[in-house]
Amino acid sequence: MNRIKIMKEPSEKKEIPASAGRIAVQVDDLTVAYNYKPVLWDIDLEIPEGVLMAIVGPNGAGKSTLIKSILGILKPIAGSVSIYGKPYDQQRKLVAYVPQKGSVDWDFPTTALDVVMMGTYGSLGWIKRPGQKEKKAALEALEKVGMLPFKSRQISQLSGGQQQRIFLARALVQDASIYFMDEPFQGVDATTEIAIINILKELRKSGKTVIVVHHDLQTVPEYFDWVTFLNVKKIATGPVKDIFNDDNLTKTYGINYKVSIQE
Amino acid sequence: MNSAQIEIQLIASLVAIACAIPGTFLVLRKMAMISDAISHSILPGLVVGFFITQDLNSPLLILLAALTGVITVILVERIQKTGLVKEDTAIGLVFPALFSIGVILIAKNANDVHLDVDAVLLGELAFAPFDRLIISGVDVGPKSLWVIGIILSVTITLLIAFFKELKISTFDAGLAASLGFSPALIHYGLMTVASITTVGSFDAVGAILVVALMIAPAACAYLLTTDLKKMLGLAIIFGVFSAISGYWLAHWLDASIAGSITTMLGLLFLFIYLFAPNKGLIAVIYREKQQRIEVSLLTFLLHLKNHSEERERHVNHLQEHINWQKVRAKTVLELALKNNMILIDNKIVSLTQKGDEFTSKAIDYIITNEDAQIEDMKDDFFLFRG
Repeated sequence: MNRIKIMKEPSEKKEIPASAGRIAVQVDDLTVAYNYKPVLWDIDLEIPEGVLMAIVGPNGAGKSTLIKSILGILKPIAGSVSIYGKPYDQQRKLVAYVPQKGSVDWDFPTTALDVVMMGTYGSLGWIKRPGQKEKKAALEALEKVGMLPFKSRQISQLSGGQQQRIFLARALVQDASIYFMDEPFQGVDATTEIAIINILKELRKSGKTVIVVHHDLQTVPEYFDWVTFLNVKKIATGPVKDIFNDDNLTKTYGINYKVSIQE
Repeated sequence: MNSAQIEIQLIASLVAIACAIPGTFLVLRKMAMISDAISHSILPGLVVGFFITQDLNSPLLILLAALTGVITVILVERIQKTGLVKEDTAIGLVFPALFSIGVILIAKNANDVHLDVDAVLLGELAFAPFDRLIISGVDVGPKSLWVIGIILSVTITLLIAFFKELKISTFDAGLAASLGFSPALIHYGLMTVASITTVGSFDAVGAILVVALMIAPAACAYLLTTDLKKMLGLAIIFGVFSAISGYWLAHWLDASIAGSITTMLGLLFLFIYLFAPNKGLIAVIYREKQQRIEVSLLTFLLHLKNHSEERERHVNHLQEHINWQKVRAKTVLELALKNNMILIDNKIVSLTQKGDEFTSKAIDYIITNEDAQIEDMKDDFFLFRG
C-alpha cells in the first residue's frame, strides 16, 4: 500500500469554471505505435480552455508520446487531434512546447539568450531571421524567469534548474495560448520548482491552457486544477477535486493507493 | 610560386571550406561517422557516372554519386530502425557493401576507364591543374576549381538562408518539428549537401581526406568556442590553414599532398586538444588542481569556524586535525592569508570577518545549490564555476 500525503489547498483559491469555456485541445481515437506495438491506445481527450492540467501515469504510460503526437512530432497510426477545432498544422502559432530537458545536448555551442530566441522562430517562419523585436521579447522572457543576468552564459554552464528556466522562457516568448510541458520539474531545485509553478499559475490566470507531464503525485492537488490519468489507455480526466482519488490512482498505477488529505 | 601551385592551394582551400560547413553540423549532430560512410559508398555512383559521362567533373556524375551518398544515409537509418543493431553497426554494414560494388565495377572495367582505387582513396591534387576548363577556346582555369567553387557557392547560400533552421533542428529537433520546421527535410538537405561536397572534393583530395576535412576542423573549433557562428568561422580557418600548410609540407617532404594536409589537421587537433583555454587538457588539469586546493581551503576554513578552542587552531596542530600532508597545509595557509581570510596571531589561526562570511556563503551554496549569491565568487574560485 502506497500512501501519499497531500497538503490541502488554502481555501482562498478560486475555482476556474473551466468546463464553461471552449475546448482547447481535442483528441479523438488516438493510437500511436512504436514498431507496431501500441504505446497509446484509442485515446479520447478533451482539454477545456484555461485549465492547468497534469498528465500522470507510470513510466512507459505514453505521457510524452501523447504530447508529441498532439504536436505532430510523432505520427499516430490512427485518430486525430484538433487545436481549437482545427488541425495542429494550422494552429502552430497558438501552441508552445517545452520538451524534456534531457532531450537536447546542453554542450551545444550557444548562449541562454540564443536558446530563448529559438522560441520566436515559429512566428518568423522559414528563412527570415530574428531581429531586434525578437531579441527584446527574448530578454523580457528571460527577465520573467529570473535569468536575465545569465543571458550571455553558455548553456552548459547553467545548473539544471537554470536550464529548465531557459526552456520555460523559450516557451513564454512564443506567446501561445496553449503550453505543453514535458516534465518541467525534473531535476530542478525547490526554488526553481516554486518559480516555475508560479509562472504556470500566472499563465492560467491570464486564460492560457497549460498541460504538464508530471511525476510527483504529492503536488498534483497543490499545483493543478485538472488531471488526466494515463496508462497506455486513458483512465480518467477531469477536475482534480473530483477525480484525484484512490480509485483512479489504483487503476493507473496498478497498486493500492491511499490519498490522505492533511487539513 | 607558379600558377599551378597557386591553383592547387586555391582548390585545397575551397575544398576545406566546403567541407568545414557541413562538417560542423555533422559534428554537432554526433554524425561524424556518417561522413566516412558517405565518402566510401559514393564510389559505385561515381563509377557508374563515369561509365556514362567519361568525365570525373561532369554534373551528372556528381549528382549520381551524391544520390548514392543519400541512399547510404537512408539505408543506415532503415537498418538502425529495425532495432536489431545499433547505428555504428549499421554504418559498418552499409558502406563496405556499397564501396565493394564500386571496387568490383572498377576492376571489371579497368581496361576501359581511367579511374583507379588509389586515386579514389587519396586523390590526385597535384594533377588537378592539368585538367582545364576551356570555354570557346579560352582557358578559364582547372575544372576541379570550378566544380568545388560552384558547390561551395551553393553551400554558402544554403547556410545563410537556412542557418536558423539548421541551428534549431540540430539543437532541439522536437521543438523544430512542433514549430513546423521539418527536421527530416533539414536532415536530408544536410546529407545531400554533405554528399555533393564529398563527391566534388573527391577528385581533388580523395575519400579519406574528405572525412578528415569535414570532421577535424569542426572538432578543433568545438574545443575553442561556445558560439555556433564562431565555430563555423574557426572550422573554416582551420581547414584553410591545414590545406595551405599541408601543401607546403608536401612540397618540402616531396610527399602526397592529401596525406600532408591530413597530417597537418591531426597536428592542429593535437595542439588545440592540449592548449585550448577551457576544454584543453592542460587547462583541465590546472583547474582540477585549483579545485583540490580550494576544497582544502574550504575544509580548513570550516574547521576554524566550527572550533573556537585554541588547541584546534594552532598552526602546528592543523596537520593532525585535518589530516593533511605538510605541503598542502602550507599552500592552503598561504592562500587563505593572501585572501585576508585568516589571521595568524602567535601561531594561533583565526578567521577574519571576510573569511567568516566567505565560509558561510560557500557552505550555503553547497547545501542549497542556489547560484545567485555566489556569482561574485565565480571569478576568483574555480570551485564555483559549475
